[in-house]
Amino acid sequence: MFNWRKVTGWLLLVLSTAAIAEQYNLGKPASEKVIAGWDIDVRPDGLGLPKGSGSVEEGEALYDQKCANCHGSFGEGEGRWPKLAGGEDTLRDERPEKTVGSYWPYASTLWDYIHRAMPFNAPQSLATDEVYAITAYVLNLNELVDGEFVLTQDNLATIEMPNKNGFYVDNRPDVANPRCMKNCKDPESIKVIATIAGITPTDHFKHDGNDGVAYQESAVGVTATPEVVKTYQNACKMCHDTGLNDAPKTGDVAAWQKRLNQGKPAIYNNALKGINGMPAKGGRTDLSDEMVKSIVDYMLELSE
Amino acid sequence: MNWFSSTEQQQLLKTLERESEKLHFTERRHFLKNALVMAGSGALALHGGQALAGNQNLPPNVPQWTGKLGDGVLTNPYGQPSKYENQTIRRTVPWLTADAISSISMTPLHSLKGIITPNGLVFERYHAGVPTINPDEHRLIIHGLVDRPLIFTMDDLRRFPSVSEIKFLECPANGGMEWKGPQMEALQFTHGMISCCEWSGVRLSTLLDEAGVKPQGKWILAEGADGAAMARSIPIEKALDDTIVVYAQNGEALRPEQGYPLRLVNPGWEGNTSIKWLRRLEVGDKPWHMREETSKYTDLMPDGRAQQFSFVQECNSVITSPSPELPFKGGKGWYEIEGLAWSGRGKIKAVDISFDGGINWQQAPLKGLVLSKCLTRFSTMINWHGDPMLLQSRAVDETGYVQPTLKQLRAQRGGNSIYHKNAIHTWKVNANGSVQNVQLA
Repeated sequence: MFNWRKVTGWLLLVLSTAAIAEQYNLGKPASEKVIAGWDIDVRPDGLGLPKGSGSVEEGEALYDQKCANCHGSFGEGEGRWPKLAGGEDTLRDERPEKTVGSYWPYASTLWDYIHRAMPFNAPQSLATDEVYAITAYVLNLNELVDGEFVLTQDNLATIEMPNKNGFYVDNRPDVANPRCMKNCKDPESIKVIATIAGITPTDHFKHDGNDGVAYQESAVGVTATPEVVKTYQNACKMCHDTGLNDAPKTGDVAAWQKRLNQGKPAIYNNALKGINGMPAKGGRTDLSDEMVKSIVDYMLELSE
Repeated sequence: MNWFSSTEQQQLLKTLERESEKLHFTERRHFLKNALVMAGSGALALHGGQALAGNQNLPPNVPQWTGKLGDGVLTNPYGQPSKYENQTIRRTVPWLTADAISSISMTPLHSLKGIITPNGLVFERYHAGVPTINPDEHRLIIHGLVDRPLIFTMDDLRRFPSVSEIKFLECPANGGMEWKGPQMEALQFTHGMISCCEWSGVRLSTLLDEAGVKPQGKWILAEGADGAAMARSIPIEKALDDTIVVYAQNGEALRPEQGYPLRLVNPGWEGNTSIKWLRRLEVGDKPWHMREETSKYTDLMPDGRAQQFSFVQECNSVITSPSPELPFKGGKGWYEIEGLAWSGRGKIKAVDISFDGGINWQQAPLKGLVLSKCLTRFSTMINWHGDPMLLQSRAVDETGYVQPTLKQLRAQRGGNSIYHKNAIHTWKVNANGSVQNVQLA
């Protein structure tokens, strides 16, 4: 039987969907437990810091093991890796050194960044107390805390960074250029400064032999697939190109020959299970055994 | 010239390989690469010579591709550019960063037309490489000072009303290598940290309404799921204005390089605020002062203090043709001078071109779409008589802001601010048609 009440109800429903368009009831409530796993941010006032502590002394050992190869034993920075310490009173210089001590406004940023993104080859692998310890040691490298210092969730926000007042909120537009159309400057005043040649890759349009991307190319004769080469670059290169954590360098014939003397299966086994400073599969347990072995082959090939 | 037969070439390479073993690993690679280029150029020259000698594909001959059948459908289920376009690629300057995993590559602006950047050519900037994310296992959490903390699947997000907008995305370090003097010899490196796409997704304001922002919520922390867990603080005014939570670019799903499956796009703002691989949005009452908004992406001024939260990409422009990569190859005669202009504050109102290093200017017509916070094309025709020129472009946006000279910027900000160099750029066109990057003192 025809039911008018049902029809009216249906019409009301249709109309109401438009009326409450601001809420769609999509997604699910996020529980505190779910949020807690991802809620890692820390603010200058200490909000977000988990309970824990770490000493400068503990930090030094961890730093030497996990940080020094890129950032240098004293935070001086290897190659183009970031310098962490020094640089006091250089911010007005021709070549300013922006380090934790000379530039960073808050200690919380240091804790937060080490926790979220360091060490570079194994982000979010440090335990809470290890983050406190390494943070304490980097502060000590910058002479902001003494060697006996123990950093905790309670004292981090009280640390005053030297450049705390060195920032202000963007005030641009800060220049005004009048839109002049004719005789805007004296032709005699124009002095042309040319580019320093030879420091940017130009071979793709000048055929001048300046090929800045050569470092990405595989060496001649390598049989590894692009996937293997790419995985090597993402997962292994960090240590094996540089000798980080005493890793045998790719291309170091003597170092690899020594290992080859124990037989290839022994090398595979070490790569899969870990040895000395190297964790199982270099910390990349998501890689298949076959991939790890192929990468070993690739590294051996480059080190013949 | 082909100096070597192929057997000789192989022998030569073997010898080079043996020689190179004495070198350090990286040097060895350089050495071998250069050797390959040398040996390879011989083969290339031979190849080119044959094509020119025969002329079999030029009229009045019937080209070889006309006389036979080509590939059928689905030969390439996902189409690729012509093999002859293999130089239209992103490039980087290796010494800029310590490692390719935390680095930047630039868009080949000289090779592109119109305002849309093809997805495979959008400049890349990673702080910890590109994560490989399974979209079924990806989640977005909104929490903090909200009435209803929520967690969304990708399917949830696709059910919200969507928007599609064409916006540029620019790294604030675009041109930053040139504060103290001209360094880069190519347009791709002076201006290539910019791209422009049609972005599709949900307005962030829609999602925030769904969660219900509490009155004390003034800032939003956006965080990525990459190894850097890249995070930035964004003022609520921007979040409620035009920020988009994006899942598609130029019609297809986001590319992994661009944040697949989900990213933020803050139109007109420095690129790093448009967090890629977006996993979390937390509403708070203050900014967080993350590493990427204190140690980095702050602009050091001559007095030793630094500008922070310098979000807007100010009005900028560059001539893309001619450029070092696109010289006047054909001698005297007519050429189209073309370029790009953009402003993070809105639409481009006008672009002026100077041929004499900024003594005199003439307005150049804009062409195609003129949209807010979007790349805008300008062009003009010139009959070039072979005279050297100092070519410049100067953009004006709808706020009336006129793109400044480098001299003006330096006077205000010194030479160490790294970011936000939007100065008028100068190309020196030489009598032989070649083009150089120069600066005017």
